[in-house]
Amino acid sequence: MKKRSITPAQWTLFGLSLIVVLVLAAILIRGEGGEKVKSAVVMSPAESPPEPAPAREAKTVSLFFLSEDDSLLHPEQREILAGPSIVEEAEQAVEELIRGSDKGYISPLPPETKLRQLFITKDGVAYVDLSREIMEKHPSGSSAELATVYSIVNTLVYNFKPIKKVFILVEGSEKETLGGHINLSQPFVPLYSLNAQ
Amino acid sequence: MIGTNETTTRRLAAFSLLFFSLLSFAAAQPTLRVSAQDYEDYSRVIVTFPSSLPITLEKDGNLLLVRISSTSPFRLRTEPVKSRFIKSFSWVTSGDLYIIVIEVRHERFRQDSFQIEKKRQLVIDFYELAEPPAGEAVGLEAPQVPPELEKKEEPPSAVEVTPPPVEGSSAAAKGIRTIVIDPGHGGLEVGAKGKFGTLEKDITLAISLRLKALIEKNLAFHVELTRDRDIDVTLENRAAIANNHRAELFISVHANSSYRRNANGSETFFLSLNATDEEARRLAYLENNSADFDKPLATENKDDIMMILWDMAQSAYLKQSQRLAEIIQDELNSLLGTKDRGIKQAPFKVLTGVACPAVLVESAFISNPEEERDLVQEAFQENVAQAIYRGLVRYIRLLS
Repeated sequence: MKKRSITPAQWTLFGLSLIVVLVLAAILIRGEGGEKVKSAVVMSPAESPPEPAPAREAKTVSLFFLSEDDSLLHPEQREILAGPSIVEEAEQAVEELIRGSDKGYISPLPPETKLRQLFITKDGVAYVDLSREIMEKHPSGSSAELATVYSIVNTLVYNFKPIKKVFILVEGSEKETLGGHINLSQPFVPLYSLNAQ
Repeated sequence: MIGTNETTTRRLAAFSLLFFSLLSFAAAQPTLRVSAQDYEDYSRVIVTFPSSLPITLEKDGNLLLVRISSTSPFRLRTEPVKSRFIKSFSWVTSGDLYIIVIEVRHERFRQDSFQIEKKRQLVIDFYELAEPPAGEAVGLEAPQVPPELEKKEEPPSAVEVTPPPVEGSSAAAKGIRTIVIDPGHGGLEVGAKGKFGTLEKDITLAISLRLKALIEKNLAFHVELTRDRDIDVTLENRAAIANNHRAELFISVHANSSYRRNANGSETFFLSLNATDEEARRLAYLENNSADFDKPLATENKDDIMMILWDMAQSAYLKQSQRLAEIIQDELNSLLGTKDRGIKQAPFKVLTGVACPAVLVESAFISNPEEERDLVQEAFQENVAQAIYRGLVRYIRLLS
């Protein structure tokens, strides 16, 4: 056997992987508190993560509403204010879901519902804390609960890369179900089979 | 020095691993390692202990539990599971008790284990058994035992665990003994409401009582209802009733409701695997890829561990649940004349803790005025019960 030396190509790959790892680490570290994670993700890896922009631009998100024609969730474009953080963008998305559709779709969230709080953990779980109306005004039923849960979950995970899962809280605490069916005592991963297309 | 034939990829992977290890806490905490490797006719799992620890093995369906007793905490490190037969590793802990859960692709396996004291290793070889189970000693080669073998341990097999109803013809000959029927909702928890005031809890009970009567009249099976009158029963207790009665099938009966006024039809649900995994992962630090944990998740009591194991058990029954759902849905389609909404997977709370094949039947939409009118009629309720009953008969026949 002869002694192997590392070729320049291997050194290049080595260096590139180091950059990737560093950028990933930077994203992970900045991910705490949900600050500007989205921007960091879409930035080119060579640049350092940007400062929060002072002016809030518009940003388009897709909200998933229920259609009267089928039992699927249909996307509707909606402009929200960009930044300053993912948390604020996600809050607006949930509030817009509650406000309802402009295109005649059904919002499976009772209009009386208030978003109490939203926060994102560093491992990508968005906790969405809703007021009691989400349960009290909910019609119950498997299809209705599935629509409510996944309009929130699919909207948040679809639009915001740092959000991987969604945990739904009611009045600040964990609930078993909204109306006796779908299990709320766990974080949800999106169920895109409920989306149209 | 003699260089090895490492590929660049391997070198990079090693570097990344090293980097991430440095990123994480560098505290030199004792580490327990678990890895799997495939050999020609068996898959080998090696557990390397930080120190000599008492262990016991227990087989539970498609799971092999390695119970370890340790007063000092340690962390767990697993390699990505890339095995044709071993599906995943996970672990749970309560006080001094640590349980490593080795999930095997199916329950037809035989394991041989031995310990290598010098290396503080437990070696477990998993042999796939032919279908139907051929018994421990039949038709299989003896494991290749390394020379340094010092002690061989016969794992005690679990007796307390409900076996899944079918695999071989002998199991099927004994048949399904207890079926638990779960009338959805009850008491203050009324479920969905119809436009004309029909309550889901009343419909589900009416259908369930008819279904019970049909089964007991025609089949030699015991039927246990989670409720036989208008009372509150928690979702957890419904699952517990099924498990306490060693139910071999669990049918939850419901009537659907949607925000859509014209939503209609019948559908049959079974538990979504994704959700089960997520639940188990959250509670148990279930992990399938290379990662390590600085400290084990302390679970407060044994119930948590049981819940996790139940969750995992339920996920082992998913295939059977899916088959049962397909057959029942087929019968609903031919008997009810309602729209076929098919079978679906969703994270239903009531199905989560049930340790047997389990489905949830949505007979029709109480939120749809036309179907609400159907649901209150005795003839329609009888048809729903008949459809589920016929589905059960077909499913049971399929097993024998």
